[in-house]
Amino acid sequence: MIDPSFPAVPGHPGDDGPAAVRQAETTGRQIVVLADADDDAGVEWGRAGIREVADSRDFAAGGVPPETLDEAQATVFAQLGIAVVTADPGQVAVLQSAESPGRRVLSVSPELVHHVLQDVLDYARAYRDGVDDAVERMLHARDRNADGPGLRAAARFEDTAQATWGIQAVRADSSSCSGRGIGVAVLDTGLDLEHPDFAGRTVTAQSFVPGEQAQDGHGHGTHCVGTSCGPRSPSTGPRYGVAYEADIFVGKVLSDAGSGTDGGILAGIDWAVSNACPVISMSLGADVMQAHPPYSAAGARALEQGSLIIAAAGNNADRRAGRPGFVGAPANSPEIMAVGALDQELAMAYFSARSLPGRGGQVDIAGPGYQVLSAWPMPTRYRSISGTSMATPHVAGIAALWAEATGRRGLELWATLCRESDRLLLPSVDVGSGLCLAPQEGA
Amino acid sequence: MTHVSVTVGDDHRGSLDGVVANLRASGLQVDQVLGTLGIVTGSAPDGALDALRGVEGVASVDAQLTHRLPPPDAAVQ
Repeated sequence: MIDPSFPAVPGHPGDDGPAAVRQAETTGRQIVVLADADDDAGVEWGRAGIREVADSRDFAAGGVPPETLDEAQATVFAQLGIAVVTADPGQVAVLQSAESPGRRVLSVSPELVHHVLQDVLDYARAYRDGVDDAVERMLHARDRNADGPGLRAAARFEDTAQATWGIQAVRADSSSCSGRGIGVAVLDTGLDLEHPDFAGRTVTAQSFVPGEQAQDGHGHGTHCVGTSCGPRSPSTGPRYGVAYEADIFVGKVLSDAGSGTDGGILAGIDWAVSNACPVISMSLGADVMQAHPPYSAAGARALEQGSLIIAAAGNNADRRAGRPGFVGAPANSPEIMAVGALDQELAMAYFSARSLPGRGGQVDIAGPGYQVLSAWPMPTRYRSISGTSMATPHVAGIAALWAEATGRRGLELWATLCRESDRLLLPSVDVGSGLCLAPQEGA
Repeated sequence: MTHVSVTVGDDHRGSLDGVVANLRASGLQVDQVLGTLGIVTGSAPDGALDALRGVEGVASVDAQLTHRLPPPDAAVQ
């Protein structure tokens, strides 16, 4: 929904028109993007009547001098696979023709003229607009209709007969990915191995708690496995699981009483990395502010080996009382991804911890973590609970979908999750890069 | 006795066995050697922690944290 109190397109009052519809300033030259080529195959410039071609490889590390760019009909930047070309529409058509021998051309676009972005007056004007905007936003906060263009309307998600609100919010229900072939390790209180919703799934279970089996005697672990890897079509109730064809690795590192130590958790991480799980979900933490060196080392070494650790930011906030909390261990290690929790209106859940000042203590991304329906040990079967513990397996499931869709692992997978997340009108100290989203067709 | 995690530096991950032997000699009762991560868990008398930190190849020695979930019937977990 577009709020009528804001202009549909950013522009300054008194300007002759909105900035977005101004004609772009061009040079008359074309920017040609070449297809990737293993060999050094060249473009057949001559076919398009282009004779004077400069190649960046013919110049020293100082780069191509501006005179060359001006004089040559085509300048090829070999490292980038991009050329700047002076060509008329007929020549462009020849270059783009599929029948053209030699290296293929991916795109041709007009070269734009770029300017230093703003003069001081523009800056002051933008600053004033920003303050005005903030004031408007606060005034409108109650009706939550203050989202501008290009941002997700202030929807209120609800559980339906088809899917939980969380599954809808992360767009898992419209993704063609299922996490097939991707190992997702959930390090928690185990799983109810007899739960009918996991019948027929590939489940590898291991306990790292002395004297206890991987069978979940608490419920927290079953809930987290449910959200990250639950079925697409449970026999009863809505879909609540993201990566419904992922290979499930259940590492029990918290006891049936809900407690565990670093020793068991590190052993669980070691096991998950040894089993080449691209995604490790950890809905656990201790309320300590300092990053804990073993988790930083474990996170870094897991990433090196293609495993991304995703951990809960923590529930130590009470925003209703003005306490924003802080990201605890292990999520406050820079090498571990920290997840904050959102409610059905994509606002912060009141308990979700805020970034610490300093390196590593930040929230990296957010997921649905309020009134989340998922699996619970039988005979209860399903339960709705809240926490950054519930947001974390949403992100882990989405990570599995991206791992399947792109083949990316480790830091590349981390970057993909952040790049593809939905930016929110919330402080980055609370939500990082925003709401995690599932890959969609054509993305 | 303190439960500890010993993080081995990147330059000694390839020679973990030697580091573990020296840790034992310095008073560490080893629970697990996590080769994939280059971390050794175990316990040691409080007085031995500095000796463990002095073992060649050890990046850090940290007391283990305890992680605790709320009870199963809590609304926020």
